[in-house]
Amino acid sequence: MSDRDQALLDEAVKDIARLKKQRSSQLYLVWLRFKKNRLALVGFIMVCIVLFVAAFAPLLTPYDPYETDPFNRLKAPSRDHWLGTDELGRDVLTRLLYGTRIALLIGVLIVLFEGTIGISLGIFSGFFGGVIDSIVMRLVDVLRSFPVIILAMAIAGIMGQGIMNVIIAMGIVGWTTYARMVRSKILSIKESDYVEAARSIGESKASIILRYILPNTLPTAIVMVCIMMPTALIASSTLSFLGVGVQPPTADWGSMISAGRDYLLDAPWISTSAGLAIMFTVLGFNFIGDGLRDALDPTIKRA
Amino acid sequence: MAKILEIRDLKLSFETEEGTVEALDGVYLDVEEGHFHGLIGETGCGKSITGLTVIGLLDNNARIERGEVLFRGKDLLKFTERQFQREIRGKEVAMVFQDPASSLDPVFSIKDQMLEAVRLNKKEEKQSNERIVKELLNKVKLPDVESLLEKYPHQLSGGMKQRVMIAMMLGRNPSMLIADEPTTALDVSIQAQFLRVLMDLKNTTNLTVLYITHNLAVLTEICDEVSVMYAGRIVETASIGDVFNNPSHPYTRKLVNSILRADSTLDSLEEIPGSVPRLINPPPGCRFHPRCEEAVDECSRVIPPVKEIGTNHLVACLRR
Amino acid sequence: MAGRKRSFWIRRIVRTLVTAFGVSLVAFLILHLTPGDPAKIMLGPYASEAAYEAIRERYHLNEPLPLQYLYWISGVFRGDLGDSIRYNRPVLELIKDRIGPTLALMGSALFISITLGIFLGIVAAIKRNTPIDYFATFQAVFWLSIPPFWLGILFLYIFGLQLRWVPIGGMVGFTSLIFPALTIGLRDEAWFARPMRAEMLEVLNQDYIKAVKAKGLKYSSVIVKHALRNALIPMITMIALRLPWVIGGSVVVEVVFSWGGLGSFLVSSVLARDYPVVQAILLLIAMLVVVANLVADLLYSVIDPRIRKES
Repeated sequence: MSDRDQALLDEAVKDIARLKKQRSSQLYLVWLRFKKNRLALVGFIMVCIVLFVAAFAPLLTPYDPYETDPFNRLKAPSRDHWLGTDELGRDVLTRLLYGTRIALLIGVLIVLFEGTIGISLGIFSGFFGGVIDSIVMRLVDVLRSFPVIILAMAIAGIMGQGIMNVIIAMGIVGWTTYARMVRSKILSIKESDYVEAARSIGESKASIILRYILPNTLPTAIVMVCIMMPTALIASSTLSFLGVGVQPPTADWGSMISAGRDYLLDAPWISTSAGLAIMFTVLGFNFIGDGLRDALDPTIKRA
Repeated sequence: MAKILEIRDLKLSFETEEGTVEALDGVYLDVEEGHFHGLIGETGCGKSITGLTVIGLLDNNARIERGEVLFRGKDLLKFTERQFQREIRGKEVAMVFQDPASSLDPVFSIKDQMLEAVRLNKKEEKQSNERIVKELLNKVKLPDVESLLEKYPHQLSGGMKQRVMIAMMLGRNPSMLIADEPTTALDVSIQAQFLRVLMDLKNTTNLTVLYITHNLAVLTEICDEVSVMYAGRIVETASIGDVFNNPSHPYTRKLVNSILRADSTLDSLEEIPGSVPRLINPPPGCRFHPRCEEAVDECSRVIPPVKEIGTNHLVACLRR
Repeated sequence: MAGRKRSFWIRRIVRTLVTAFGVSLVAFLILHLTPGDPAKIMLGPYASEAAYEAIRERYHLNEPLPLQYLYWISGVFRGDLGDSIRYNRPVLELIKDRIGPTLALMGSALFISITLGIFLGIVAAIKRNTPIDYFATFQAVFWLSIPPFWLGILFLYIFGLQLRWVPIGGMVGFTSLIFPALTIGLRDEAWFARPMRAEMLEVLNQDYIKAVKAKGLKYSSVIVKHALRNALIPMITMIALRLPWVIGGSVVVEVVFSWGGLGSFLVSSVLARDYPVVQAILLLIAMLVVVANLVADLLYSVIDPRIRKES
C-alpha cells in the first residue's frame, strides 16, 4: 500500500468516526425534542399505566375474570363492582384489567411478526435493489390494494378462530408499511457519506449491512413499531368484534364490546368501558408515536 | 433630494427553538428617491430581513423591539397587516426574491399571474389590462411575449422567470422595488442580461431600488449608494465611489480588497479571519471586533455610534 | 419530453396490470390458504359425498391450481363469479342487490371525511401553533384511537336507544344513513386533516406565496386561490391511498348498524365460509382500489400544469 493510499484510508476512517459521533449527538437531539413534547410524555405515562395493569392484574382485583355468578347478572356499577357485571355475572372491571394482558400480548406479537417480515423484506429490497426490489414492491402494491382489516378477516376466517390465527393473518397482511418505510430509509443510508466511505475502504456487503445499515435503520424501526401498535390493537379488537378473532370466554376487549352490544340498553357499561380501555391504550401509543416521529423528522416539525 | 425610506435604530429579534436571535440591532438606513441603493453583507447578516420588514412580510416569530421604518414619512412599523396589503405591497413597495424557480406559482399561467397583479390597480377593460401586461413584459425585454403569456413557470428559464417577476412587480407601478439577491441563482451571462434590464429601468423611470446582495461587483454596475451590513448592523454607508476609493470601516476595506482580487463574492472571503458570529449570542460592543485587525479593548465594550465622516458618508467604527 | 411522458404512462399501466393480476391471485388463493379439501371447508364436514363432488365439479377443484385459477378468472371476465353456497344463487346477483347501499354509505362517508378533513387541515395550517391548530391535531389522533365499531355502538346507544333520533340499525330511509356515515366520516377525516395541514404548511412556506403577497393580493385570495390550489393537488393521491382504510372501516361499521350492504354481507359470508362470495367481494374491493389509484394519477397529471404541459 502506498503512502497516498494509506493517507486516503486514514481519512476515510476519520470520516467514519466523525459521522458516527454526529449520529450519536443526533440521537441526543431526538431525545431532547421528544422530552419537550408534552403529549408524548403523557402518552408514555399512559402506556406505563397499561403495562403496570397488565403486570399486576391479579393483585388489583379480588375477583376472577372467568368466575360466573348467575345471581349477579348485568348489575349496574356499585361499590362491589365498580364497573358493574356482565351477562354471566362476571366483574367487568376485572375482565378489563385482565384484558390488558390479552390486548398487549396480541398487539406486541402482531407488531413483532409483521415487523420482522416487513423490516427484513425492506432491508433486502432496499439494499440489493434490482429484481428483488421489484418483486417485493409489487407484492406491497398488491397487498396494499386490500383493506388490511378485510383481508385479515378473510384469512383469519378461513384458518379458524383463535389468537394465533389473528396474529398470522395480521402478519401476512400488515408488513407492507414496515417494508416501505425501511426500504426508503435504507436507500437514503446507502447514499450517505459513511457508507460511501466504508465501501471505499473495501468493507464487505455483510459488514456494511451489520455495521451501518442495521444500526441506522433501528430508529426508524422503533418509530414504526410505536406507530403500528395502535393499528394492531384496533385491528385485533375489530377481528374479535367481527367474530373471527379471540373467542369468548377469554377476557378480551373486542369480544366484551361485541357481547355487551346485545345488552346495550340494560347494561351499557360493558361495551362502553371496554371501548374506553382500548381508546386509552391506543391513545397512549399514538401520542408516543407522534412524539417520536416529530422528534426524528424535524422537517415535518419545521414545516 | 427626498428620502423615500428612512430606517431609524431598528432592532428586531426572532424566537427560535435554540433561543432568541438578535437579527437586527440598531439598523440605520436612508434611501433617496429614484436612487439604486445597494445593501451588502454576508449570508445571515440580516439584509433580507431588513427588506422583508419594509414590505411587512416577516415571519410570525419576528419581534420588533424598537425603531422606526419611515416610508415617505409614515412609520410602517405601526401598520397593520391589512394596511400593508392595501397601501404598501405592490402599490408602493414591491419585492423580487432570490430563487426565481420558486417565486412564481406553478399552477397558474404567466398571463394569469401577471393579470392578477395588474387587475389590482383599478377596474379597467379586460383588453387594456392585457395590453398593460404585454407592455410590461416588453419593458423587461422578454422575447415572444404572445406565446410567453400562455406558458407556465416550469417552462421558462431562471432568467426569464426573474424578468417576469420584475415585470409582475412593476405591474402596479410601485415607487420602490426591493430586489433580494435576484441574480444569485442565475448564470453569470444571464446575470448581466438581468442587470441590463434594471439599468434600463433606472434610465427610463423614477424607480427606487433597494438591491440586496452579497456580491459587491454587481453593485458597482448599478448602484448609487451602498450600505454595508455586518451581523445585524449597518457599518458603513457611502456613495459607490467613496466605498471603493475611500472605504472607512475595516470590514468594508476587506470587502473592497476582496473584489479587487479574482473572486468577488463574500462566500469565499478567506482574508477575513473568523466567521460571521451566530446572532443568538452576538459579541458585545462592535460585532466585528473579534475578526478586526484594528480592534482595541474599547471595541469589545462600546457599540460604535454612527458618525458622518464626509458628505453622505456614514461609518460606525470607534477608530474613525 | 413527449416520449418520456408516454413511457411513464406505459410503465404505470403495466404496473397497474401486474397489481391487478396479483390482486386476483390473492383473492383466488384465499380458499387454498389452509391445507385440506376446499370442498369440505366450504360445505362443512357433514355434507353428502355427492354434494362435495358437485362442488368440486362446479369449481374444477380436481384440476391443478393454475388451471383452477384460469377457470375462475375467465369466469370473472364472463361475469360468472360462481354461486353462493348459502343462497345457492349467482354471486353477481347477490352483489348487485347490495352494492347500492354500500355505495351510498361509502359515498356519504367519503364526502364527510374529505370535506371535514380538508377544512380542518387548512384551518390548522393557517392558525399554526394556536389552540385551534392543537385542537385540530388532537382531534385527529383522538378519532384514530377509537375503534370504528365501538364508535358506531356508542352512536347507536346515544342517538338510537337513548335519544331515539334514528332507527336502531337497518336501512330505513335517510335518517338511518346519517350515523353510519358519520361514524366512518368523523373517524376517517383524521386521515385527511393531517396530510392536508402538512401540504398547506409546505405551500405557505413557498416563495411564491410571499411573492403573491408582495403583489398586494388580499390574504383570503392568497389562501383560496394560490395556497389551496397548490395544496389540494397532492391530496388527490392521498385520498386514493387512504381508500382501502375507508373501505375497511365502512365494512365494520355496516356490521354495527346492520346495514344491508356488501360489507356486512362479506363478514357473514366469511363466518359462513361462503367462499365464492368472499373471493368475489375481495376482488371487487381491491380492483376498486387499484383503479382508484390509476385514476388519481391520471387526474393529477390533468390538473397539475407541470405534468400536463410537459411538451
